[in-house]
Amino acid sequence: MTFSPDLFGLKETKKITTEIDVVNLNKSFGKRKVLDNVSFQVKKGGFLSIFGPNGAGKTTLIKILSTLVAPTSGKVLVSGISLDDDPTLIRKKIGLISHSPLLYPDLNAYENLKFYGTLYQVPHLEKRINFMLDKVELSHRRYDLVRTFSKGMQQRLAIARVLLHQPAILFLDEPHSGLDPHAVDILDGLINDIRGDHTFVMITHSLEKGIALADVVMILENGKIIFYQEKEHLDSDKFRKIYIQTVKGES
Amino acid sequence: MSSLRQIAAILKKDIISELRTKEMLTSMFLFVMLTMVIFNYAFGADRNNLTPFGGGMLWITFLFTAILGLNRSFVHEKDEGCLEGLLLAPVDRPVIYLGKMTGNLIFLSVIEIVTLPIFTVFFISHNYFPQIGWFIIALILSNLGISATGTLLATISINTKTRDMMLPILFLPIIIPLLIGAVVSTGQIMAGTKNFESVYSSLKFLGVYDIIFLLISYGLYDFVLGE
Ligand SMILES: Nc1ncnc2c1ncn2[C@@H]1O[C@H](COP(=O)(O)OP(=O)(O)OP(=O)(O)O)[C@@H](O)[C@H]1O
Ligand SMILES: [Mg+2]
Repeated sequence: MTFSPDLFGLKETKKITTEIDVVNLNKSFGKRKVLDNVSFQVKKGGFLSIFGPNGAGKTTLIKILSTLVAPTSGKVLVSGISLDDDPTLIRKKIGLISHSPLLYPDLNAYENLKFYGTLYQVPHLEKRINFMLDKVELSHRRYDLVRTFSKGMQQRLAIARVLLHQPAILFLDEPHSGLDPHAVDILDGLINDIRGDHTFVMITHSLEKGIALADVVMILENGKIIFYQEKEHLDSDKFRKIYIQTVKGES
Repeated sequence: MSSLRQIAAILKKDIISELRTKEMLTSMFLFVMLTMVIFNYAFGADRNNLTPFGGGMLWITFLFTAILGLNRSFVHEKDEGCLEGLLLAPVDRPVIYLGKMTGNLIFLSVIEIVTLPIFTVFFISHNYFPQIGWFIIALILSNLGISATGTLLATISINTKTRDMMLPILFLPIIIPLLIGAVVSTGQIMAGTKNFESVYSSLKFLGVYDIIFLLISYGLYDFVLGE
């Protein structure tokens, strides 16, 4: 047996550069196959945009990656940790912005953040809450019940909630829907602030947004990856055609 | 330590929400009052005749008001999608269970403390105040069993379409043994029994039931929240 420290070094770097590793992932709800042999990787600091028609399985994919739904078969590693090994550890490292803001309507903005911050054991919580409320421009409404917030304000608070524990990996499920242009700017600003040392997977129906933010794009149709390319090699006119075709073909 | 803080956070969140809306406490309180009014008209207000049935009347009232509360305890969690937020958080599943269970236990106990004096004035002729310590122990053990099983089953029923109906269907058969213990122990204390043996054995039974169902729920909760 030879002992090679270099081998360990290689292994180590490989682990670090791949943040999300999905191999032959399948998911069925009863008889309906929603994800069909999906395999892909996202490198650390990468930004993957997922496009696809309604019902393609995009949300299901993100729910599996964020430990909310169990896969039927296949291997999923998030931050080098297998889904069924230590889901709690994965949960510490991820944040999810989904269709609903996941806020309690009868708590005010501050209480909502305080609640989630305590569950995540965020250090220096008060400071962090103030910082995040400032970032999403809701400091002046901190003691108002979330019930009284507009949809866009709730979405902004949801963004603050997700970033509170500084997750290394962010899953965004149509994060721009329901936001006015200013709130879109706030969200994009926050994303750009933390790009590079965070990994993103974003579902979107907006070609412009998806392509502008991404460094890898993917189209999912009927649970299969039908297109996957790095942005630097992307012919955006051709991509646009393929995308429009899949969406049309579906409806 | 950190788990305790997380349990406390879930409990605090539920209490603040409830104190703002009072949805759950109001409906529970009104139900108890309504039942007592009906008892009063149905049986007449002869307290001497009713005292032996006190335990039964008490737990019919408290059990159904508990179901009313349990059905509401996950409403926000489900309707606003907040359950997903809880599930995404890095907390062990039993922490969620203990947080929700403690809340349900407190809400039920508050309603009981408020309505018991009224119940006693209307229906109980014997002065059981000297035995109030034992009575409170019986009450706590019964409430704990109701909340322990009820929180588990309420979680199971939120994922079914007919959640309001599902809970009583699952709950009533499982809770009957506990209910018998509750009726016997509190009933005999209220009636001023001389034979405390059967009260003791009922209390012991309640304690065992509580421990068993807390352990079962604790173990099953991960699975129940699964999908
Ligand atoms: N819990 C569930 N039970 C049964 N079927 C489900 C469940 N969740 C999703 N599905 C099915 O899985 C398929 C994919 O749904 P999913 O929500 O992943 O689509 P999507 O790509 O996110 O679509 P959209 O663009 O509309 O958000 C759909 O056919 C849907 O009906
Ligand atoms: Mg979706």
